[in-house]
Amino acid sequence: MKRVATIILNRNLPEVTNRLYEHLVQHDDDVTDGFVVEAGSDFERLSRYTTWYANWPDALAHGLRYSRGMNYGLSQLWKEGRFGQYDAFFLLTNDTELQSSPTLAPLMGILEQHPRVGILSPCAARWGERFLLKENSTKYFWFIHNNAYLLRRDFVESIFNEDQPDFMNFVFDGSNFRGYGFESELIAKAYANDWAAAITSEVWAGENESHLLNQADLIKTEGYEENLMLYVEEGRRWMRNKYGFNSRWSMQQHVKNFYDSFFDFHPEFKSYRI
Amino acid sequence: MLGVGPMSVNCVDAAIDLSNEHEVPILLIASRRQIDSEEIGGGYVNNWTTEEFARYVIDRDKKGKILLARDHGGPWQNPNEKDENISLRRAMESSKASFRADLEAGFQILHIDPSVDIHCQPHVDEVLDRIFELYEFCWSQAQQLRQDVIFEIGTEEQSGSTNSQEELDYTLNAVQKFCNKCNLPLPSFMVIQCGTRVMETRNVGSFDSPVRVADELPTEIQLPKMIEICNRYGIFMKEHNTDYLSDEALQWHPRLGIHAANVAPEFGVTESRALVEVLETNGLAELSDSFLQLAYDSNKWDKWMLPNSQATDRDRAIIAGHYVFSTAECIALKEEAGRALASKGIELEQHLRQHVKQSILRYLRNFRLVRSQ
Repeated sequence: MKRVATIILNRNLPEVTNRLYEHLVQHDDDVTDGFVVEAGSDFERLSRYTTWYANWPDALAHGLRYSRGMNYGLSQLWKEGRFGQYDAFFLLTNDTELQSSPTLAPLMGILEQHPRVGILSPCAARWGERFLLKENSTKYFWFIHNNAYLLRRDFVESIFNEDQPDFMNFVFDGSNFRGYGFESELIAKAYANDWAAAITSEVWAGENESHLLNQADLIKTEGYEENLMLYVEEGRRWMRNKYGFNSRWSMQQHVKNFYDSFFDFHPEFKSYRI
Repeated sequence: MLGVGPMSVNCVDAAIDLSNEHEVPILLIASRRQIDSEEIGGGYVNNWTTEEFARYVIDRDKKGKILLARDHGGPWQNPNEKDENISLRRAMESSKASFRADLEAGFQILHIDPSVDIHCQPHVDEVLDRIFELYEFCWSQAQQLRQDVIFEIGTEEQSGSTNSQEELDYTLNAVQKFCNKCNLPLPSFMVIQCGTRVMETRNVGSFDSPVRVADELPTEIQLPKMIEICNRYGIFMKEHNTDYLSDEALQWHPRLGIHAANVAPEFGVTESRALVEVLETNGLAELSDSFLQLAYDSNKWDKWMLPNSQATDRDRAIIAGHYVFSTAECIALKEEAGRALASKGIELEQHLRQHVKQSILRYLRNFRLVRSQ
């Protein structure tokens, strides 16, 4: 039985998705099952490894993005009764680039060493966080801006929406379409429920933004600048409507408060505090 | 607190007016390129020497609300010291002479920054040794002159990157030991790189960015950690390169615990834009073109350009405008414009000052130093 379900999100870039899938098969096949969510891709641009195809009109027109896409994958596992068979879920956008060696075995090793880590993120070669991970390769953070998260099942089970386990609500808030601030919400939920969010430099992962920069028309999405503007605009509106926060800094302080109190209750993890 | 770069006479006047009108202290932060001692050759702002600049400000600052501050004092911080390729010893002597002139003129805050070295890349301990030498010198000079002085330390200007927690802790620990040993007061301000960097007419650092900036720690992480360290040492945190940040980012400064912030080129650009606009909308396009040409030809825009910049020649000229305000050509051009505009009921310098005041006010309001309207 494999311990991890890896969900890859694709929209109209089958070659890129296939490469990532095959990379996982090559390096992590013993640890993970791979699942590909098609976020409203054109029929002729599906990955050959497609598992679930979100092909309702809105998905075809606008895609799913990270929150809805990952919710969709997780909710499908739930519906199919396979959710409980995995210890963790590795959520990747198709533009993720992994090192040419096993990724998931080391990540699962870290989850074992850190029993209260609910969210684990590989570091990237050009992240400033790497400077904080020199002596200790894994530390707990209150802010992780990434598109590659390993979520422990116990953590997901402690926060997921049991009443509406669907693509809009499973664990991420699908109403925040492009996802500005979604990571802060997830991390706040983690620390509020006694789970930590960690970054490790034992495993590296990067995001190849050139696909979005150069192939936006093929992906059938907005160009980089427009996407960025919409990402911030929509996310700020979402933050205000949901939390009454008018700034990302309010959200940050909210998360940081939970982070600080986590260590009050778990002094044994203080050495992992940044 | 807000630190305003004295980019021009109008900028200085605007800062004095606002500090007196709103009874709020404002730091006038003069770099050595802008204003320096007579001995060293003055600076590009109104061709003022340190003494002339200080006298001008002190005479007009009726309520005594302006704090005169040296920004980036230290060896090779005056362009002449670079051009003449002088040695370390001579550069240290020159910077001491500059500091001495500052104190004699009545400067109250001295930023000691010996991070520039045109001959080699000094190790952090060498930089610290230079800080200590200048610190002790300035303190003894102030004592001789029987005046108070506040110190600001910090290196790495416009690196855009974020200095590490270890580096900051190491520096503050060394400075604390030095001050205790020599019975000197601790510095009041420490310059912290917290993701602000000015290029062209934008802040391109991570502070206001919704996406990652390569090789930088997200400000969400960097800032609280740095402030925590400064608080541990009882030192205020000062941000440089605050120009062009959004209102939202500025409004969070006091809440996040940023005690002081410097803004400079934005005010120069504001004035240049206002000058060009008032000339162009009043049938003085020829004068506007002459100003833009003069500014463009100065090449002073060069250091502000992003790689693969899309900036037009006009954009570049606007960026460089304040560097040429005190040239003979620009003075003559503005006199001619002033006469022409006066006939239309526009007092040019007052008009420009008003624009700079609005630009400074944005910071004062967002920092809650003055009431929002």
